[in-house]
Amino acid sequence: MILQTALLIGVVLFSVLAILLRDLLKSAVSLAVASLLLGIIFFRMNAPYAGVFEISVVAGLITVLFILTITLVHKGDEVRESRLANWVFPLFFVIFVVIDALVMKSLLGKIPALASGAETGTFGEVLWKGRTLDLVGQIAVILAGVFAVLALFRKGDKHE
Amino acid sequence: MIILFVVLPLVVAGILPLVGKLSRRVLPDLLANATMLFLLVYGAVAGRALIAGGPVLQQSPWLGEAVNIRLALDGFSLFMLVAIALVGLAASLFSIDYMEHYGAKGNYYALYLVMIAGMNGLVLSTDLFSVYIFLEVAAVASYALVAYGLGRDELEAAFKYLMLSVVASAFVVAAIAVIFGMTGSLDFAAVAAALKELNAGAVVGVAAAFFIMGFGLKAALVPFHAWLPDAHPSAPAPISAVLSGLLIKVSGVYAMTRIFLGVFGLTPALSGVLMLLGAVSMVVAALLALGQKDMKRMLAYSSISQVGYVVLGIGIGTPLGIAGGLFHLFNHALAKGLLFLTSGSVQQATGTRDMDDMGGLAKRMPVTAVTNLVGSLSIAGVPPLNGFWSKLLIIVALVQAGHPVFAVIAVLVSVLTLWYYLIMQRKAFFGKLNEKWAAVKEAPFWMTAATVFLALLCVGIGILFSSTVSTWVQPAADVLADGVHAVTGSWGF
Repeated sequence: MILQTALLIGVVLFSVLAILLRDLLKSAVSLAVASLLLGIIFFRMNAPYAGVFEISVVAGLITVLFILTITLVHKGDEVRESRLANWVFPLFFVIFVVIDALVMKSLLGKIPALASGAETGTFGEVLWKGRTLDLVGQIAVILAGVFAVLALFRKGDKHE
Repeated sequence: MIILFVVLPLVVAGILPLVGKLSRRVLPDLLANATMLFLLVYGAVAGRALIAGGPVLQQSPWLGEAVNIRLALDGFSLFMLVAIALVGLAASLFSIDYMEHYGAKGNYYALYLVMIAGMNGLVLSTDLFSVYIFLEVAAVASYALVAYGLGRDELEAAFKYLMLSVVASAFVVAAIAVIFGMTGSLDFAAVAAALKELNAGAVVGVAAAFFIMGFGLKAALVPFHAWLPDAHPSAPAPISAVLSGLLIKVSGVYAMTRIFLGVFGLTPALSGVLMLLGAVSMVVAALLALGQKDMKRMLAYSSISQVGYVVLGIGIGTPLGIAGGLFHLFNHALAKGLLFLTSGSVQQATGTRDMDDMGGLAKRMPVTAVTNLVGSLSIAGVPPLNGFWSKLLIIVALVQAGHPVFAVIAVLVSVLTLWYYLIMQRKAFFGKLNEKWAAVKEAPFWMTAATVFLALLCVGIGILFSSTVSTWVQPAADVLADGVHAVTGSWGF
């Protein structure tokens, strides 16, 4: 229970840092740490596949892409952090911990246990057979992303 | 093969950028418009035969293996598919001439068809998570399309739209997670059955609130509307037409209606919230539209106001109210599509969207002026145009259901609507011709053809309203009314 709470607090802490930090590099690393902690929570809650994806794709692959892009366009000068972060962050953090301690414990008991779904089976079966329509949707999202990059970074005859 | 509605536009979208390298104009124009025409004909002709014996649930194989690609076609989804194909075809015809100077037409049509595929997928899916995925497909394509002009305004509007839309998606996912956590299922029918068994009113209330915030943002209901008056005017005209005419309705109103009426059951509390949101949107957005100088911005505010009518009608929950709401959704899709397209013609001819700057354009652009007038009168609810009948149905349903105050508000907002549309007519098209526009010419052929097509539909449906209602709207409303009847559970809010 204590470890779980610590992990949750860590997720919130690093997520907020990722938003508040002005240095993009530090911000990207904070995001990676947050999703790493989230991945660990997934593992502990018996969702190993979600954990693997969270850690490998979100904490790993996407962070690499972020850091690569940031270093490619980075000017190299120091970024001054916002003074707002100095007091908003601790305040937010303390409020969160207090609410967490007061509310979560009683609330957790009230959430009904997850009913076992019809879509059970191995991970492969669920992904490829149970949720195939979602895969079609994901192909469409990827297509949209690729076309968006092609369209928004097009050269030449652009609209005045 | 219901899956064609999703797969065909996706496949064509996949090859369009390559085709665009071979032929810069003709082939992309031809392919995209042929696809839209096929979807329209297929939906209007084959679709009705398919659902003649009741809703169809099709399971498609994937490379010969039986996998779970389940799509459902019933009266409501077919109605939406035909609306998407009609306005989508008009906008893609308009794009032939309008998108000429933007460049990269292959890419443009590719994004356009992905957006259409996303909307079709959302309309056909039978499960909560698929709704979310296709919501995102249409949304991601639309962010890029809003920014397509690459100007400062366009990029800023697209960014604002992206940020608020992401918040909306987060609420939708949170609601889906709550529902999944409680029922262990995502399928509409299974969730509806499980919720009936489960006595968890408070948690369903939380999920419903999340859905209202998420879909309310997508549908741009007041107070979730801030992004729309920036995003819709900044997009290229055919995209504005599709966003205002279709996207806010499919990803906002359709999804909300399908889930609330078919899965949760429309409880009196939920019905009250929807009606209130609808009425507030109608009034506030109509008042905001009155003060606008930018033609497209005024049309954008008008969209919020008219979506308010749709939500008000559906929120009543009676068969007549639902039919009126859906009919207005369809009519507004046609008329607002038409108005955005004509505003694009005007903007291309004069280079401005400021109505104070225009004046007397009817003398130079007679077809555009007449079609614009048809669209304006239709939305304002002037008989015998289509908008009149749908507003009448909503008002009659309000009176029948014992909501005279809402009925009076609906009539008064209709007067306000007529007022601001007449201001637009007077400033832009009538009066003395501004000398600046002496050399202005009528819009090119395809742009005019697209607007005439929609204007004829507005007039035709107005005259043949009873057969339109009985063939297209009533089957859709029946599905929803049956849903309300079947799943209204006993949990309280």
